[in-house]
Formats: sequence, structure tokens, C-alpha cells
Amino acid sequence: MSSFPKTSFFSPSRVSIIAASTVTQLVRMKVFLFLAPVALLFVALNFFELPIYQGPDTLVPEQQLRTHKNLCLGTMMFFTSLFAIVSVALIIPSDVEDRTLYTILCKPVPRLDYLAGKLLGVILVLLMAMLVMDFLLVVTLHHRTASISTDFGRYLSDLGFKEAEVARGQAELAKHGPTWVLQYGVMAHFFKACILAAVALLISTFSTSTLFTIAAGVMVWIIGAFQSIARDGLFVDSFAGETPSLADKILSTIISLIFPDFQLFESIADASVRAQEILGDDILKLGGLTLIYLAIYTVLSWFVFADKEF
Amino acid sequence: MSDVNAIEVHELIKDFKGPFRGHSVRAVDQVSLQVKAGEVYGLIGPNGSGKSTTMKAVLGLIRPSSGSCSIFGRDALKVDSRNDVGFLPENPYFYKHLTAAETVRFYGKLCGMRGQALRQRIDEMLELVGLSEARNRPLRGFSKGMLQRIGLAQALVHDPRLVVLDEPTAGVDPTGSREIRDLILNLKSRGITVFLCSHLLEQVQEICDRVGIMKSGTLVKEGRLEDLISLRDRTELILEHAPEDLLTQIRNLVEVTHGAHLLSEAHPRTTLEDLYLDETRDHSKSAHS
Ligand SMILES: Nc1ncnc2c1ncn2[C@@H]1O[C@H](COP(=O)(O)OP(=O)(O)OP(=O)(O)O)[C@@H](O)[C@H]1O
Ligand SMILES: [Mg+2]
Repeated sequence: MSSFPKTSFFSPSRVSIIAASTVTQLVRMKVFLFLAPVALLFVALNFFELPIYQGPDTLVPEQQLRTHKNLCLGTMMFFTSLFAIVSVALIIPSDVEDRTLYTILCKPVPRLDYLAGKLLGVILVLLMAMLVMDFLLVVTLHHRTASISTDFGRYLSDLGFKEAEVARGQAELAKHGPTWVLQYGVMAHFFKACILAAVALLISTFSTSTLFTIAAGVMVWIIGAFQSIARDGLFVDSFAGETPSLADKILSTIISLIFPDFQLFESIADASVRAQEILGDDILKLGGLTLIYLAIYTVLSWFVFADKEF
Repeated sequence: MSDVNAIEVHELIKDFKGPFRGHSVRAVDQVSLQVKAGEVYGLIGPNGSGKSTTMKAVLGLIRPSSGSCSIFGRDALKVDSRNDVGFLPENPYFYKHLTAAETVRFYGKLCGMRGQALRQRIDEMLELVGLSEARNRPLRGFSKGMLQRIGLAQALVHDPRLVVLDEPTAGVDPTGSREIRDLILNLKSRGITVFLCSHLLEQVQEICDRVGIMKSGTLVKEGRLEDLISLRDRTELILEHAPEDLLTQIRNLVEVTHGAHLLSEAHPRTTLEDLYLDETRDHSKSAHS
């Protein structure tokens, strides 16, 4: 018989048990079905011709690719973000409602482990979904790039360009195809979805209702997207030229905590679509910021959850 | 070690906040009780009298408004205390998407069990609660009694020293109910402490060493079962094949003895429970598959 085993305050193995069960739960809820419309959309985009208006300097084949990427990345961003919020909203409040939580918390499971495990499980499912969508993106974009590149090469040859110049043009075009830079954009969207999952976790710890969690989570998502604009408009505009007061600084910090600032994520995603160079430093910063946000929201959720009774 | 009480509830008060400010419900009022190691303790009382609330406080699932609870000397609010206790909540509910075996495995893992030992334990537990046949069926399709059985399996999976059972036989058929009774007696014989509440008084009477009666949040009576229910000034004789003249002699003897009275005389009956069990014995094997 066990005599006084000590339960550690936080145990990675227990977190992973809960995460694994969360992955099973989401997979058996058939959440991956949402990938079907995404796949259909990506394939359909391949047959979609961007109407290029006729003009001397408007034949920009990379414009086609950029639009393709924009639409695909936008779709991925939309689905993963929504998915992050909805899946957290589906699993946490129902645990409380069904009182499944009783049976878990009366085992030697600290509440922090439970929350961290649930969040990790959702993030793992998000990662799988993102990898599938990323694969689809790369395949369809590769296909698209190849066909546009052929057309473009033929067009240049017809105009009488030399072979070397044609090759250079095509190489330039290839930069807008499936590249590593594009992967950074995908990564930015994934990180953003992870943060939204953590936000939804925090909301679900005090709301105990699926619908409320979804509604509030989506609100944070939208506000987060416009946050920097709103914040600048609210606090900086009126102080043009002046340094903002301490109170304003504190307020804006609080707001930036409640509504995570996704500007860096958006700008990296934009740059990746435009095939601009992205600094390794920026990616590191992005990863660090994501980890900090995840840690903050998990700890905040824990504060709310620690004293909760069901 | 053995003189530490398995459960120690000290002047527990629990108020639940009502929908309006200032309107709170006092679910448990000044309850103190001790459950000694190795004892079977039964809590009985009408609906809403605070039995489940007391149990949740013992498990640390709710925070006492005042007072304290401890398990084997450790504060119930600390996670550590839960290594020694298995809990079956009332109307237990588990992840619908898991099968019976997966459910027991999940809770076993949460208790830190691994590998071969866990696999073996899962088989044992499912056998114990009579769900071996249903081991690979998802809980989505389980009946109320089957959920209760799986709840019992998860409560016992890590072989705890203390088992807290909130209405263990609710929704379970009479055969299963009898099996659960035997299971509790078996736990007791192995020195495991059981703290239970139930509305089946005959069962409580059969298995408990001590009982507490709760009413509107307070513990109105508590003590050893024998002391509580035995009527020391009465004696019951049950005779078989007694001829009528023997009975007449006995009646006459009673009549001439000063102070003694014959209060009643009847043929004892088998209980409905026994009758039911006799009649359904052959089919009992298929009761839950
Ligand atoms: N979470 C809660 N919020 C508000 N009131 C509660 C809560 N849980 C219990 N109560 C109240 O506390 C009182 C005691 O409830 P409890 O569940 O302990 O009763 P019980 O003795 O287990 O009853 P039963 O025999 O029906 O299971 C009831 O009046 C109930 O309404
Ligand atoms: Mg109850």
C-alpha cells in the first residue's frame, strides 16, 4: 500500500496524460472534419484565375501567387483561430457541467496540471491540423507556381527574351512559391491560434458556459487584431507630441494583457505572403512572445480555477 | 500510524452563496466526525441534508466556510491527501468517448500507475465490477448502473486506503447492489476504510460499523450501529418445526414471569430482496452485458 507519496506541484508526465486524453477526446469528436472544407477550398483556388486587367505593366504573375497565398493563409488563420477557441470552449465547460472534473480532481492531480494538460492537448491538435493544412498549401501552391512559371516562361520567350533572362525571371517568380519564408507566416498564425486557445482557457475558467466562452473568445480575437490601432487611437492620438501619462501607460498595458497584441504576428504573416525577407530575430521574438502569453494566461486561469468550487 | 483517523472532520460549516447577496444556503452546519482506520462509516439522512457536501469537503473539492477536514492526518485541501483516497461521486459521469477499459486506464495513469501493473489492474477492476464483457464499449452507451460500476472501478484502481462512496448502489440492480455490498465487506476485511452514504437503510445496517444521521446540515445522531439500533430490553426467538404445545408452554411461561410480555408472534418472512435474488439468480450472469 502506498504510504505518503509526495505529489509534486507540477508534473510533466501528468500534464501529458491529460493532454493525450484531450487529443483523443477532440479526435473522437471528429473535429478534423473541419479540414475537409479547407482542403476543398485550397484545391478550388488552384483553378481560380485572378482577373488581370489588361495594361502594359500589369502582367505580374507573382500577383496571382500572392493572392493564392493570401487566401490560403487567411483561411488557415481563420480556421485555426476559430478552432482554438471552439475546442477549448467545448471541453472545459463540459467537464465542469458533467462533473467529470470531480473524478479527475479527486485523484492526485493539481489543478494547474489539469489546465496545462488541457491547453497542451488543444495545442497539439491545432499543430496537427496546421500541419495538414500546411501540407495542402505547399502542394497546391507548388502546382500553381509550376503552371504559372511555364506560362510566364513561354510569354517571355515570345517577347524575345534570351534563355538566361527567362530563367532569371522564373527564378524570381519561384520566390513567391512555397518557400521557407512562407512557413514563417504559417508559424505566425499557428502561434496566434495557440494564444487564443490560452485566452479561451482563461475565459472558460470563470464562465462555465460553452457559448459565452466562444463569444468572449471571438471578441478578444477581433479586438486583438485591431488592438494596436485602437490603442494608438485611444491613448496616443490625444497626446500627439507629448509622452503619455503613467495612468495611460498602465491602462494600455492592462489592455494589452487582456487583449493580446497580434500586430507582430500579422506583420510577419504579411511579410511572408509578400515574400519579403524575415529576420530570424523576429521569429525568435515571436516564439518568445507566444510562450510568455501562454504562461501568463495559464497562470491567470490557475488563479481563477484554484479556489473554484463546482 | 494506525491511531491516525482515516477521516477527521472538525466543526465543518459550508455556506453556498445564493442567487442574491446575503442569501446563502448553509449546507453543512457544525459537523464534526471521525472515521477510524479500517472502519465502515455510513452517513444517512434525507435529501438535501448535506451528505454529499460533507463528502466533497472531505475530498477537498469544496473549501469549508469554516472548520477543517483531513485524511490520514493530512489537510484535505492539499493534493497529497488524494493519493490515499478513492472517490465515487453521486451520479458519476465520465468521458463518453472512452471505453470502459480506457476510462480505468486514464484514472490509473493519473494516480501514477504504469505498464504491466496498470494493465493487470484494469482487468482486475473490470472483473471486480462485472464489466469485463463491456470493456471495449464506449461509455456513451452505458446505462446508469454501468456508469456507477465504472465509477467504482476508477475509485479503487490505485488501491487506496480510504474509499469514499456517495450512494454506491444508486441505479444498480438488486444483484449488483448485493455485489457492491459484498465488495465493501471485502474491502473492510482487507483493512480498507470506507466512508459511504446511502438511502438503502437495510444495506447500511448490514455493512456499517458506525453511522451518522444528518438532518438539515447537522449531524443529529452518531455512534456504533449496535448501540444505535439494538433494543437491549427485547429478545427475539425464531423457531423451526416447533409443535403447537411447545409454543403454548412458552406463552404460559412468559405469562407467569413477572415483568415479561410477549409483544408479537408471527411467521418470519423472507425479505423482498432475498426473494428477488432467489428468483433472478439464474439470469444474474447476463445482468450487465
Ligand atoms: N453547489 C451548490 N450551490 C448551492 N447550493 C448547494 C450546492 N451544493 C449543494 N447545495 C445545497 O446544499 C444542501 C445539501 O446538499 P447535498 O447535496 O449535500 O445533499 P445530500 O444530503 O447529498 O442530498 P441527496 O440525498 O439528495 O444526495 C442542499 O440544500 C443543496 O441545495
Ligand atoms: Mg447527495
